[in-house]
Amino acid sequence: MFDLSGRDVLVTGSSRGIGRAIALELARAGSDVAIHHRSNPAAAEKARAEVVALGHEARVVAGDVADPAAVASFVRSAGEWKGRLDGVVTSAGIYRGDASESVGPAEFDAVLRTDLEGTFRTIQASLPYLRKSVRPAVVTVSSVLGAHAATGAVAYQAAKAGVEQLTRALALELAPRIRVNSVAPGFVRTDMNRGGHEEPAFHAFVAKSTPLGRWGEPDDVAPVVRYLLSLEADWVTGAVLGVDGGIALR
Amino acid sequence: MTEPPRFAGKVAVVTGGSRGIGRAIALALASEGADVAISYRKEVRAAREVVTGIEHVGRRALAIPSNAADPAETEEFVQKARRQLGRIDILVANAAVGGPDGWESVSTAAWRELVDTNLVGCYSLVHAARPHLAAAGASVIFISSIGGLLAAPDIVAYAATKAGVISLARSLALALAPATRVNAVAPGWVRTDMTAELHESTGPREGIRRTIPRGRWGEPDDVAAAVVFLASDMARFVTGETLIVDGGGSLRWRAGVEE
Repeated sequence: MFDLSGRDVLVTGSSRGIGRAIALELARAGSDVAIHHRSNPAAAEKARAEVVALGHEARVVAGDVADPAAVASFVRSAGEWKGRLDGVVTSAGIYRGDASESVGPAEFDAVLRTDLEGTFRTIQASLPYLRKSVRPAVVTVSSVLGAHAATGAVAYQAAKAGVEQLTRALALELAPRIRVNSVAPGFVRTDMNRGGHEEPAFHAFVAKSTPLGRWGEPDDVAPVVRYLLSLEADWVTGAVLGVDGGIALR
Repeated sequence: MTEPPRFAGKVAVVTGGSRGIGRAIALALASEGADVAISYRKEVRAAREVVTGIEHVGRRALAIPSNAADPAETEEFVQKARRQLGRIDILVANAAVGGPDGWESVSTAAWRELVDTNLVGCYSLVHAARPHLAAAGASVIFISSIGGLLAAPDIVAYAATKAGVISLARSLALALAPATRVNAVAPGWVRTDMTAELHESTGPREGIRRTIPRGRWGEPDDVAAAVVFLASDMARFVTGETLIVDGGGSLRWRAGVEE
């Protein structure tokens, strides 16, 4: 079950963190993967080599998801590779955690353009290639902060809430053929959260606040994406699934 | 690509496993390596067929007549499952009754049957199995319904019990953490005996189909796959969640939509 043999999937933001874990999980499930990065060619090349070592094909594409022209270009590069995309996973994102008083226009704009519009532009640019797939599916990456409030990071929270509604709206608009779902990770040990999980007091606070008793790992999120892309999830669309160890429950 | 079975050496307990969604869940869990105990209320022959199906894929199976509305019977079912299959790793509370139609004439007896079966039955199953659940990695899945998320004036009592199931999944997820994960699946319109009146006549079948963005009714296997996913290590960091499996049917509000 949940076999992805022969699929061609683009994963944005897959040189590191959750995106990278997703790319490798999809490869283990049988996919060929287009690895995307913005500015880390060495890490992307390493991820590519890891996919190849798993016995699948990979290519690296690059560009800033906040720049629609760059999105059009890297999606074309990923799509023309095999002439279609069976899956698109929008994992590229940035986080800014400032208190609201100090969030200037540039910061707000960068977060919204990367996390929200970047997600949309990536999916939009992928449509011609998704339409060439027999069973196309998209998975967006939200956050526990997309539906549960925290102090600070107001732009990030608004962007992720936007990603969740974008997911539902596109699930409806792109039906019946293209499925669109979302995963909402909790606190996951990645470079994005390094300031958090490498700070002992905050590390302990999150582990204690999470009912499953620990931080999430990128490898906890990746298999959920695998399920949502699989044939077995053929009747799942517009769903947002938390992958947060239960932290949203209290 | 071949993978080892996900539930090798594990035991699953599924209420209402003789027909419909429960049957598909029992068979799917077995096909992934689990030994499976099912309960059923009346359908002896159907239950035997499920047992045969489970044994056919090389797993052990058990079918016990047990009314999910009766906590004592549930307790007995769980005890027998554990005694005969040795352990319990996966619990699926699926047994449910549907109807009655219309909001104006739901009798007290009907309310009680619905609440006792659909909602209290979930609690009783967990309560009975809790002392026997595997120390680590156990997983509980409740079958709710999109009726528990949306307004359902034609089936008010059923919908209320299914909303209760979602709440119970959240509370028990917290209560049973970190050893046991608890999640719910909320199916939309699935072709089962419970919905036979609707999917077996063209008008209602097509009318409902048109409200589903994916353009088709659900099959029991669609729900069973979601249960396999949630029960498996793939969902190891997922707890307290409700996975909607409805072809997108709950996305659209009907205002202004052409029927």
